[in-house]
Amino acid sequence: MADATSTPDSDSSQVQRRRFLGLAVLAAGGLIAAIYAIPGLAFLLGPALEKAQVENWIPLGPASKVEPGVPTLFRANVRRQTGWIVNEEQMTVYVLTDDGRTYVALSNICTHLGCRVRWVEGEQQFFCPCHNGVFDKDGLVLAGPPPRPLDHYPVKVEDGLLYVQGA
Amino acid sequence: MGARLGDWFDERLGWRKAWEAIFLRKVPKVNWLYTLGSATLFVAVNQIITGILLTIYYVPTPDHAYDSVQFITNQVAAGWLIRGLHHWGASAMVVLTVLHLLRVVFTGGYKFPREVTWITGVLLLLLVLGFGFTGYLLPWDQKAFWATTVGTRIAGVAPAVGPYFLRALRGGEELSAVTLARFYGAHVWMLPAALLALVGVHLYLVVRLGISAAPSRED
Repeated sequence: MADATSTPDSDSSQVQRRRFLGLAVLAAGGLIAAIYAIPGLAFLLGPALEKAQVENWIPLGPASKVEPGVPTLFRANVRRQTGWIVNEEQMTVYVLTDDGRTYVALSNICTHLGCRVRWVEGEQQFFCPCHNGVFDKDGLVLAGPPPRPLDHYPVKVEDGLLYVQGA
Repeated sequence: MGARLGDWFDERLGWRKAWEAIFLRKVPKVNWLYTLGSATLFVAVNQIITGILLTIYYVPTPDHAYDSVQFITNQVAAGWLIRGLHHWGASAMVVLTVLHLLRVVFTGGYKFPREVTWITGVLLLLLVLGFGFTGYLLPWDQKAFWATTVGTRIAGVAPAVGPYFLRALRGGEELSAVTLARFYGAHVWMLPAALLALVGVHLYLVVRLGISAAPSRED
């Protein structure tokens, strides 16, 4: 191939091949990087994107324990899993009824900073000892710093047993 | 645009010269066995990436190690994949490093002027074995526990210094929480630091000296 006219041709094909191989290496590298990056990101962010586990209905006790008009405290044990650690937690719920047929379940956790409220029978109010938050019988804020009413749990009665759906 | 940015940086960093020296250097005519070193480096990078990811969930204490590994494998998204890559990559590291060493031995690649490359390479093989030994304990299952019991006991039979080795490895007489914590520390801090330093020297020498040609029939 000493022919002078062929030299530019072979030169440019040389350049094209080099460019093609460079791009091929870049593409292969990019593919490998993506193969690591995608599962890697899923691995890192997985627990953050997981939806809060939906609890089953938690049995509280006999509905007959609740006297009409009086918020009654129930305690139930809840299994809660965070990561690989399973905890038994105690959950406390105030249940009240006016007619013995429809029930309301209120969280006893103050919406201000998470202290436990208690029912004061004489005042007919829920009282939080931490910062003097006061709620009425339906959990509405009467006084103090709480920003919103007490949380409600979905509640149902089956065969005389009360169940709440925990969060 | 890209070229102008490249020029801007080149004026300040001189990166083009480094790029040429590393990636555009001349290599003699060799065969596929000469890629074993690069293959080892690739798997080492795999071990670094997946290892860093695993530390996000793994906890090196006796009451959490096993459960956190099970959590990674069964609960975390792609956890089985990341752990699997690290697990099989560990075996691949040992196999590839040894094959790479054999290639260098049989083609005479260790000879002048590449003695230092060879010595750092042998030290790197020892580090890889150290990674394998310390990493094997971390899942804290029966196999891990008894393999390390036996492995540390083997160190213990060395004459005179054996019992001290055993105590130093276990952090006491028994295999315990102390052992697990120190194996973890060695696996994720001491050994990687040593590995990166030696890989740096090893690769610098490969670039500086070039690789040896495959020996011909006349050699």
